[in-house]
Amino acid sequence: MSPTYGIVAVALVALATLAIGAFGLRVSRTTSDFYVASRSVSPLWNSSAIGGEYLSAASFLGVAGLVLAYGADMLWYPIGWTTGYLMLLVFVAAPLRRSGAYTIPDFAQVRLQSLRVRQVASILVVAIGWLYLMPQFQGAGLTLRTVTGAPTWVGTVLVAVIVVINVVSGGMRSITFVQAFQYWLKLTALLIPVFFLALAWTRDGRPRPVAPEAWFSPFGGTDGPDLYLTYSVMVATFLGTMGLPHVVVRFYTNPDGRAARRTTLLVLALLGTFYLLPTIYGVLGRIYAGDLVAAGRADTVVLELPGRMLGGGAGELLAALVTAGAFAAFLSTSSGLTMSIAGVVGQGLAGTPATRRHPISTITALRFGATGGVMVPLALALSAERISVANSVTFAFALAASTFCPLLVLGIWWRGLTAAGAVAGMIGGGICAGVAPVLTIAWGPGGWLGLLMSQPAAWSVPVGFGLMTVVSLLTRSTVPGTVARAMVALHTPELVDVDRRT
Amino acid sequence: MTAPDPPPRTYSGRVRVTSPLTTAPAHVRRSVRQEIDESTGIGEIYMRSLIRSQLRAALMVALTLVMSIGALPLVFLAFDAVTEVHVLGVPVPWLILGVAVYPGLFGLGWVYIRQAERAERDFARIIAPDDAAPEA
Repeated sequence: MSPTYGIVAVALVALATLAIGAFGLRVSRTTSDFYVASRSVSPLWNSSAIGGEYLSAASFLGVAGLVLAYGADMLWYPIGWTTGYLMLLVFVAAPLRRSGAYTIPDFAQVRLQSLRVRQVASILVVAIGWLYLMPQFQGAGLTLRTVTGAPTWVGTVLVAVIVVINVVSGGMRSITFVQAFQYWLKLTALLIPVFFLALAWTRDGRPRPVAPEAWFSPFGGTDGPDLYLTYSVMVATFLGTMGLPHVVVRFYTNPDGRAARRTTLLVLALLGTFYLLPTIYGVLGRIYAGDLVAAGRADTVVLELPGRMLGGGAGELLAALVTAGAFAAFLSTSSGLTMSIAGVVGQGLAGTPATRRHPISTITALRFGATGGVMVPLALALSAERISVANSVTFAFALAASTFCPLLVLGIWWRGLTAAGAVAGMIGGGICAGVAPVLTIAWGPGGWLGLLMSQPAAWSVPVGFGLMTVVSLLTRSTVPGTVARAMVALHTPELVDVDRRT
Repeated sequence: MTAPDPPPRTYSGRVRVTSPLTTAPAHVRRSVRQEIDESTGIGEIYMRSLIRSQLRAALMVALTLVMSIGALPLVFLAFDAVTEVHVLGVPVPWLILGVAVYPGLFGLGWVYIRQAERAERDFARIIAPDDAAPEA
């Protein structure tokens, strides 16, 4: 592909992102605007924004690459990422919105009346956010190099700078507009080329993909290990989505609990529509770009296909469109993550909730939080060896599923949860889900131990839930006295006018 | 000082004695909303029943997921025949995993929302029969 089109596409996305962010700046004035867009975003805007934020590099590039390389088994990833929203809908969406908190640490404090729980949750938000940010930054560098030939650090730094400018200038409201725009950009960027690619495929006489038998059928030729990995990925993605900080913070922008549910249902539709497309790219890639697997560049199949199958001006234009979509994917996910890290760090900087009465200092704290929060993953992305996007992302899902999922589910549905139980569960589950991949990379144990360590969710999530439950039962006398009021606030529909103070 | 008025001539021997009862507590019907606001035993019972019905709806969805998507890997593993069937030239597992799952997830979410909102409407009707929103 000629670099010109690619550079123009990336520049247009970057400019549009900054322009929409600037539009948000004019209406973003108060602290509430900054953090949660004053809770006035409609379900369609909000669900587009959630979709835009959620569909990261792993979805836009990674799924097609995985399908190209490994076939039918990889279809579980997009299924898990979508089902995660169904679990979020039924267990968390409406009560979380009704809790009236800004972030997960806020929720923990409101529900459990404990500063220690808040601190542990804050550290986890930052840890999960950094884990998720690093591969986004690295993926951006790689994409820009593939398309334009620029050095890797250019794309990495470019994404980081645009994201910080956006968050610092407009906060959550401008991010909402940016994210909503980017969902539709990403869908368009995959949808339009598919029609042309299908035409080209028909013109070529509809060749069938050439691959080993195992590629076509799930669990082709294998059994035990594959089954464990599949179920572990399921646990991580089904339960991890509700604990991702950049996903959860979105739910505070709904006007009420009912809108939070409807937003989530719309998200299911938007994600389901989007995830039909990467599979098509993966299968077409098997026909036209099988060499990418051997070259270790399966992740670039989405970017390469238009040029290879169509060629000429049309191919170049469509390739530029796909590049724009990929860049939007990096930008949107990074923005959301940065925003949630900045929210937590900013609140930590601003100190107690009492300082919320002084919006200027809080907004300043948020700006410092955003700038500081991006520095660490940026430094890691620039210095560390490239870690595969899908691996790092799944690791973040497992960590969220082992810590925040038990906190949210038990906190919302079980009166018996105590502060000590929550801390024990988050630390225990976090250590299990955090140490396993480090062990895998540093030591690389073989056999069943290696298998258990490479995908920890299937056992680390029960550890998190178990510790939280058992320790809560042991410290039963410390159940906060406000639990009955908290349950009223979490579960009573807004149309009933009860006292919601805790 | 004059003597008090003499009793009326039509004195019948019976007097109706009434009191304005200004200091006695008025008999007020306590609303369920008050019971909830004051965290009384009755309020707790209503809250628990709402939470239980919402949790039941959520667990039904989770159970359906486990028995459908959760069972798929085992089905593919156990029945090779399923993986060899083709519809329109596409193997059935690809159609299920790549296409059919997504409308299914949306449908499940839609059914859940209907249940959850119905439970909330019923709750609202019990708590505040006067100002609860009409059937949407």
